[in-house]
Amino acid sequence: MEQRVFSTIGKVTRRKEGIARVTGKEVFSSDVTLPGMLFARVLRSPYPHAKVLSVDTEEAEKMGAICVTPDEVPQIRYNERQVSIPSKTYRDRTVLPEVVRHVGEGVVGVAARTEALAEEAVRRVKVEWERLPAVFDPFEAMKEGAPAVHEDVMLGDVRLPIKNNIACVREVSEGDIEEGFSIADFIVEEEFRTGRAYHTQLETKAVVCRPEPDGGITVWPTAQSIHNTRQLLGRIFDIPLSKVNVVRVPIGGAFGSSIQMNTAVAVCAALALKAKRPVKLCLTREEDMYDHCKYPSIIRLKYGIKKDGTITAGEMQTVVDIGAHNIQAYPLLGCMAGWFVSLYRMPHMHFHGTAVYTNKAPACAMQGYGNPQVSFAVESMMDILAEKVGMDPVDLRLKNYVGLGETFWGQGPTVRSIIRSCGVEEMLSKGKEKIGWDKRGKPEEKRGRYRRGIGVGRSFHTSGTGAPMPGEVIDYSTAMVKVNEDGSVDYLTALMCHGGGTLEAGAKIVAEVMGVPLDKVGISPSDTRSTGYDVCTHATRGVYCGGAAIKKAAESAKKILLEFASRLLEVNPDALQIRPDEELGQGVIFLEGAKDKAITVGEVAKTAQLKGWGTAIAVESHRQVNCPPCFVTNFIEVEVDTETGNVRPTRAVAAVDAGTVINPDLAAGQLEGGLCRGIGLALLEDTDYDRDTGELTCGASLVDYKTYTAVDMPFVDDLEAFFANTYEPSGPFGAKGVGEAANNCTAGTVANAVYNAIGIRFKEAPITPEKVLKALKENGAAKRRAERND
Amino acid sequence: MATYKLELKLNGEKLSAQVLAHENLLSVMRNKLGAKEVKNGCNKGDCGACAVLLDGKAVNACLTLALQANGKEVTTVKGIGTEDQPHPLQESFVRHGAIQCGFCTPGMIVSSKALLDTIPNPDRRQIREGISGNLCRCTGYNKIVEAIEDAALKRKS
Repeated sequence: MEQRVFSTIGKVTRRKEGIARVTGKEVFSSDVTLPGMLFARVLRSPYPHAKVLSVDTEEAEKMGAICVTPDEVPQIRYNERQVSIPSKTYRDRTVLPEVVRHVGEGVVGVAARTEALAEEAVRRVKVEWERLPAVFDPFEAMKEGAPAVHEDVMLGDVRLPIKNNIACVREVSEGDIEEGFSIADFIVEEEFRTGRAYHTQLETKAVVCRPEPDGGITVWPTAQSIHNTRQLLGRIFDIPLSKVNVVRVPIGGAFGSSIQMNTAVAVCAALALKAKRPVKLCLTREEDMYDHCKYPSIIRLKYGIKKDGTITAGEMQTVVDIGAHNIQAYPLLGCMAGWFVSLYRMPHMHFHGTAVYTNKAPACAMQGYGNPQVSFAVESMMDILAEKVGMDPVDLRLKNYVGLGETFWGQGPTVRSIIRSCGVEEMLSKGKEKIGWDKRGKPEEKRGRYRRGIGVGRSFHTSGTGAPMPGEVIDYSTAMVKVNEDGSVDYLTALMCHGGGTLEAGAKIVAEVMGVPLDKVGISPSDTRSTGYDVCTHATRGVYCGGAAIKKAAESAKKILLEFASRLLEVNPDALQIRPDEELGQGVIFLEGAKDKAITVGEVAKTAQLKGWGTAIAVESHRQVNCPPCFVTNFIEVEVDTETGNVRPTRAVAAVDAGTVINPDLAAGQLEGGLCRGIGLALLEDTDYDRDTGELTCGASLVDYKTYTAVDMPFVDDLEAFFANTYEPSGPFGAKGVGEAANNCTAGTVANAVYNAIGIRFKEAPITPEKVLKALKENGAAKRRAERND
Repeated sequence: MATYKLELKLNGEKLSAQVLAHENLLSVMRNKLGAKEVKNGCNKGDCGACAVLLDGKAVNACLTLALQANGKEVTTVKGIGTEDQPHPLQESFVRHGAIQCGFCTPGMIVSSKALLDTIPNPDRRQIREGISGNLCRCTGYNKIVEAIEDAALKRKS
C-alpha cells in the first residue's frame, strides 16, 4: 500500500535557498564574474523587417572590441526549444540572421572590456539595411501577396516552404462534429481574444560563456533546461557534448521564457569562442521585452448543448499570432486542442489551429502554454451556456467536467493518460461555500456606481508530459542520490527551480525515502557534465516527473545502504527500516521490536567506507507514464466602477488539486502568484506594436507596460487558498504539479465575475477600463432604445 | 573622459572608486565595488530591484548618480543582516515563503527596512505603499506583506 503518513513531506520547513536569497548571497547569471571577462552588447535591428546588406566593424575593432557578424557565425538553422522530437521541430533561427524579422532582433555581437566600451563599440558598427515590407496582423499576413516573414524553414531536416505566413496548422477531430451539433437543442458560437502579455520575469536574460583550452565551452545561462542548452550549443558550434558544460544557475523568474535557449546564449558563445576569453551578455529590459512574450489568441468557439445541460459537441478554431519565429507553435496548437478536449466532455469535437508569422517579437510559452487562453474562452462559454439552459454555472460544470477514469491530454493528442485522482467536486463545493456563491445575486438586481459580482472558473494543468507511449514530446528525468559518511545525503539532478520550491520538494522526497532529517539532505550544484539528462523544468513537471526520478534514485541508494546495515546488524535487509532521529540529528536504521538492532545511517556509511564495501549511491533515469491533471478552481469577486470602468478584484478563493502537497507554504505561494499573474492577463497586460515602426507602443518600459505593484495588486488582504484532499497514485508520495495550473482559469473567472456585476460579457482580455466604459455606454444606449420600443 | 574619486561607506566599510560623472550608483556598485547583491532589473527606476539605503533612505541605485553618494553611507541587503545574524525582516521573509525566485528580494528587503525605520508599526496599507516601488512577479505580494507585518510585530515584542 502507498505511504500516506509522512515524516517530512507536507511539513512547513525552512527553505534551503532562503537564507542566501535574503542576505544577497545568491548568484544569478548576471552576477557570475570571471577573471579576464569581457562584456557584450548586441547591435539590434531598428526595423521590423530588413535585409542586412553589409556590416562594417572596422571602427569598433580599432577600439579593441571583438565583433561577430552574421557571416562569421554558423548559419545552421535551429529551434531554440528542444523539447519536441526532431521530426516535429520547426527550425527558423540562426545565431545572427542576414534578414531581421522584428525590431530588436540581434545582428552583430560586440564584446569589450567594459559594458560602456561595448556600447560605444556598437555605436561604431555600421550596418547597411534594405528595408522590407512588414506585416503585423495575422489575418493580413495570411492574405495573398502579404510580405513573407520567412520564405522557408526547416521541419526536422527537411526544407519546408512557408505559404501565406502560415507557420503550421493543426487539426484534431473525434466523433462526428455535424452529428454532435445536430442532436443539440442549442448551438452557441462566440469569439474570444487574449492579449500578448510579456513575462516580466524580474531578471532579464543573461549568460556568461567561458571558452576552455580543450576547445570546449562552459556556460552559465538563464535556462530552464541545461541539457537542451548543451545539446543545441554542441550542434550549432560543432563541439562534442563532452566539451560543452552548462551550469545550473538560479533563475530570477522565467514563467516559460527560458524553456528555450535564450537568444543571448548563442551570441555570447560565438563571442567567447572568437575572443578566447570569457564573455558576459545581459539583456537590458528593453531588449528583453523585444525578446519574448506570451502567445496571444483569437479563439472561435462553438458548442452544442441539450436542454438538460449535456454538451453534445464542441468546435474550436484558433489563430495564433506567433511573431517572427516559430519557437513552439506546433506543440502549442496540439496543447490547445488538448486543453479544450480535457476541460469538458464532448462526444464529438473538432479543433483547427493556425499559427501565423508576423514581424513582432516571437511568442513562446508563458505559464499555462495556451491553457489560460483556452480556459478564458471555454470558461466564459460555460457561463453563457449555463444561462442559455437555465442552469447554475457550477452545476453545468459539475455535469460536464472531465474527471476520474476519463482521458486527459497532457500535451496534445499524443500525450494522453487516464485520470486517477480528482478533486474537482470538492473544490467547487467548498469554494462555493467560502465565497458565498448563493448570495451573489443577478446583474439586473445590482444598482449604484460600484457593482460587485462573483464568478467561477475552473481549469487544470498537466503534470509533465509523460504518457504510456512516447509521443511528440520528450519527457524523462535523471537523479543521483548518495549517502555520506556522517549520515547526510546529497542529491543531484538537472532539474531547475524557478522559485516555486522544486528543489526543496526534491530534498523532502529524499529525506522521506531515506528516513533522514531534511536538514541532512543537500541539494548538489548541478551542471550537464555531472548529471544525466533531464528534459526541462517546464509543463509543471518538476515535482511529479523530476521528483519521481529522485524518489527512484533514493530508493535504490537506500537498498544499498540497508544491505550494508544488514551485514552489521545481521538482519535480513528487507526487515530493516529507517526513521529520522531528531536527537541524533540523523537517520536510524532499525529492526522493529528489537532494541539492540539499531544503527545510525552515518555509522553504516562510515563502516562501509572503512571496510571497503563501497558507497550507497544510485543514479536513475525515470519517465512517468502518466500526465495527471492538477485541477484548479477559482471563485473571484470583482467590483466594477461604472463611472471609470475600472474592475477591481476584491476577494478570491483559489483551490488546487495537487495531490499530496509536498511544500504546503511554497505551493500556496505558487497558487497566489499564479492567480495574480492571471489577474494581469484578465485586466491589464498586453503589448501592441506601432504599425509603421514595428516598435512596442509601451516603449519597452515596465512602467508603461503596466503590471501590478503591491498597492494595486488585488486580494493582498483577502485571498484564501486551499488544497483539495487527493492522492495521485502515480505521483511521488501521491503528488501532482501546481505551477502553471494556478493561473489558467483566472482570466475566465474574472470575465464571469464582471458579467455577474454588470451583465456585460467581455470576450476580449485584458478587460481594460476603456473597454468597460465603452460597453457600458453601448449597453445603456441599447437599453434606452429597448425601453423606447416597449 | 574625466573620472572623479568617489568615497563612500558600503555596509560600514570605507571604499573608493574612480567614476564617471554620469555613471549611476547601480553600475558602480555592481561593476566597481563588487556589490552584486544590488540587482539590475530595468536600469530606469521601474522595478526597485536595485534599491539601497543612502544615509538610511531608500533610493533606486539606478536613478542615483554615483557621485551623489560621495561621502555618504550606502547600505545594501548585505548590510542589513547576515546568515549568522539575520535581521528580523530577513528571518521573516524566509519563514513566510516571501521569497520565490529571489531576484526582487534584496531590493524588497531594503525597502521594507526603510519602511520599518520610519513607521515601526505599519498597517497593511502602509506596508503595501512602502514596497510599491518594488516589483515582484512571483508571489503576488501577499506573503511579502505578511512577512513584513510579522517582522514588525516581532521587533515590537
